[in-house]
Amino acid sequence: MKTLKNFILAIAAWAFMSVSALATDVIVVSHGQANDPFWSVAKNGVDSACKDMGISCKYTAPGTFDMVEMAKLIDNAVSQKPKGIVITLPDAAALGKSVKAAIAAGIPVISMNSGSDDYASLGISAHVGQTEFEAGVGGGQKMKAAGGKKALCVNHEVGNVALDRRCAGFKKGFGGSVDILGTSNDPTEIQKAVAAKLGGGYDTILTLGAGLSGEAALKALEAAGKVGKVKLGTFDMSPNMLKAAAAGKVEFLIDQQQYLQGYLPIAIFAQYMRWGTMPAGVVMTGPGFVTPDNASKVIKWAAQGYR
Amino acid sequence: MSEKSKSISAKKQSTNDERLKKVSNLKVLLNRPELGALGGSILVFIFFGIVAGDTGMFSAYGALNFLDVSANLGIIAIAAAMLMIGGEFDLSIGSMIGFAGICIAIPAIYWGWPLWMSILFAFAMAVLVGYFNGILVVRTGLPSFIVTLAMLFILRGATLAITRLITGRTQVPGLRVLIEDDPIAWLFATDTFKWLFTWLGSMKLIELRTDGTPLATGIPPSVIWFVALTIFATWILMKTRYGNWIFASGGDKVGATNVGVPVGRVKISLFIGTACAATLFACIQVLDAGSADTMRGTLKELEAIAAAVVGGCLLTGGYGSAIGAAFGALIFGTVSMGIFYTDVDTDWFKVFLGAMMLIAVVFNNYIRRKVTESK
Amino acid sequence: MSENLIEFNGISKFFGKVIALKDVTMKVKKGEIMCLLGDNGAGKSTLIKTLSGVHKPDEGEIIVEGQKIIFDSPKDALDIGIATVYQDLALVPLMSVTRNFFMGREPQKGIPFFKTFDIKKANEIAADRMGQIGIDVRDPSQAVGTMSGGERQCLAISRAIYFGAKVLILDEPTSALGVHQASVVLKYIVKAASQGLAVILITHNVHHAYPVGNSFTVLNRGKSLGTYSKKDLSREKLLSMMAGGEELDKLEVELKEMDRISKN
Repeated sequence: MKTLKNFILAIAAWAFMSVSALATDVIVVSHGQANDPFWSVAKNGVDSACKDMGISCKYTAPGTFDMVEMAKLIDNAVSQKPKGIVITLPDAAALGKSVKAAIAAGIPVISMNSGSDDYASLGISAHVGQTEFEAGVGGGQKMKAAGGKKALCVNHEVGNVALDRRCAGFKKGFGGSVDILGTSNDPTEIQKAVAAKLGGGYDTILTLGAGLSGEAALKALEAAGKVGKVKLGTFDMSPNMLKAAAAGKVEFLIDQQQYLQGYLPIAIFAQYMRWGTMPAGVVMTGPGFVTPDNASKVIKWAAQGYR
Repeated sequence: MSEKSKSISAKKQSTNDERLKKVSNLKVLLNRPELGALGGSILVFIFFGIVAGDTGMFSAYGALNFLDVSANLGIIAIAAAMLMIGGEFDLSIGSMIGFAGICIAIPAIYWGWPLWMSILFAFAMAVLVGYFNGILVVRTGLPSFIVTLAMLFILRGATLAITRLITGRTQVPGLRVLIEDDPIAWLFATDTFKWLFTWLGSMKLIELRTDGTPLATGIPPSVIWFVALTIFATWILMKTRYGNWIFASGGDKVGATNVGVPVGRVKISLFIGTACAATLFACIQVLDAGSADTMRGTLKELEAIAAAVVGGCLLTGGYGSAIGAAFGALIFGTVSMGIFYTDVDTDWFKVFLGAMMLIAVVFNNYIRRKVTESK
Repeated sequence: MSENLIEFNGISKFFGKVIALKDVTMKVKKGEIMCLLGDNGAGKSTLIKTLSGVHKPDEGEIIVEGQKIIFDSPKDALDIGIATVYQDLALVPLMSVTRNFFMGREPQKGIPFFKTFDIKKANEIAADRMGQIGIDVRDPSQAVGTMSGGERQCLAISRAIYFGAKVLILDEPTSALGVHQASVVLKYIVKAASQGLAVILITHNVHHAYPVGNSFTVLNRGKSLGTYSKKDLSREKLLSMMAGGEELDKLEVELKEMDRISKN
């Protein structure tokens, strides 16, 4: 019994000393876990902004992609009465109730990364991120400027609204003929599917996921000896694609710059807390283009966790 | 008095005296499997009370939040505990949650069924899945760990494949509107004691929204179901013949069969129990979120088992309690939500959770050794 | 021959090419304690498994109270009144004395669909029956794990008797017990026999078997070396039959020889 009592006292002492809880200014509730390399960069953005702005923040996320758990975290944040809440909005239907409760409790909400279509209807003040259609347009325009006439848009998850929009935007920006190639999300199958299409006279290929379809398409081009003859661009970034860009094999990577998705909402709230200012609408963090010109710098920064 | 009974009472006297020195009341109380978990819960509350007392964690809204998480976990933890006491594991609970979710959502949204029919359909599927799990385990004699692990994959895969086949996507939204007029759905989706919170709000005893209504509106349905299930499960385990059979099946399968316990039937019914608990969980979640998702429930089986073990259930079976599992779930839910109220970087969340589990289990083990010590 | 409660006539059991039992005959009367002795591997386990319904004999027949019986499962044997207490006792250490005592046969009370386990009555009966053996169970809801090995053995036997055993088969009841505990169990066995049960006591320990047994059957490599009543058998003779007496005699001669050589 004595050891038990001592044990409890020790825990209490540790609790007092090490763990404090002051009211947090801004709580971020994201669907991205920090062990995901993409979200780790976003979290670094949040942490940097907090330090730069001199306010206190917290980055929280559910253990798995579970909207119900995420809604609970939003409720959790509301009960702490912060000055502002930042969320991602991958599922407006599931999260809507909690978001509305936050706003009804008098806490302003900014969304980032996902939800550019739905944020306004929930009463969210602003959205920070890359809208898929516009990013696609940017990519299309760039390929057009590079001289592309006939393009293939590789969609590895047809039916995923965000991805469908990327191809649709690309088509608009490109101007020339664009065919959509639907594939599974198996890299070997994607590579084979792209290889099969290479005889069709395409001079441009756009993939929607660097690590998955981007690398697969690159492999197909290398196997057919068509690197450089067919221009390859991709959404998002992966270490291999970055290296390929530095080597001039890839035209561009579309970087949604998730560091800014983490940084900007905090900065916005910090100013809101001081002066009541709030942007109206969507603050676009992308498309940011990583090209052979700046790829090597981006590789360096990616290694540090900022890109 | 005969010689024999005289010597017995004399022996009783002396042993009683020895015993009184050794056994304090506290120890007797600690012999119950759930007391370890109760102690753990109190410890956790004290900890967060000290560390996060004024952050809003124990405000009405904040408390209802972690109670809701605990209650949902508790529903499956209790079923998992009963199965564990009976000597088996069900690793497919999480996948069943996802599967049950689409069993409710797809018929209601895509086939035009009334919601109550979809809900009953989901429970019917649960009985089938549970029966299948049980029969496989009982007939083949394979460890339930392996059998239900296989079902984990099969169910999760079937959930994804069937959903995408029928709907082309992985989420099925649009259920919220169907709840209102439905004769059964309200059972799983209604907050209770709303009058209490309105009153508390009017007395300004709890947080209010900007329009003057209270932030916390009522007790979530999960809590009511959780309490009811705890009472029901405890009654079964402690007060019925069937409960004794559960302990026997887990404690000594062969011996129990030899004295006439229908071990096979008991185990199959317990598997049906876990599948139905998973469906209840899914029902509450789907109606709360208004949508079903193929990935719901991932890893929940591990949490349920952890809550049961923290609550005092032996992994090898034959020992444990439903109340213990309920406290185990309470600990889990409180810690999962509580850490977000502290300044500890949430990167440490899993370390925290794991450490807490370890402490709770070591504590319980210490208690249990005292129980089975030969005197 | 209906004065015999149970008879095994010419029982043989083969497992493939292995002859586990060959032509074993054993008869036990009411109130008689038959000790079944033999070294490890003699076939004792196989014999009792055949008697308790786990195996079906390949040759021979089993006669209970004058009727020829075939067991399809251990439950059949139990229903007829042949109770076997195996070495693991079929007791769950973490469960209480009462719950173990009434495992599978719990008394109930209350309305249909809401029947509850009548624990109060069960506690009373369990405490009473254990008291009759001379074991004072301080609290029948205490875990069986807190009881000594001898007490557990007595609990298992008491349970078998309470639920109407006519023939009690005990598999090595004292082999894991200390001297004092073994004597408690043996005393109880004698008492049980005196109440009219036929007891078959399997053991390889002659010093436990000899004092309590009325008759002795010795098995050696699947065959019976005969059944003897106590008055026809001395303890030494029994011991030598079990261990293969001639081999021990030869060993003794060789040892004497070696001793003589080393002295010279």
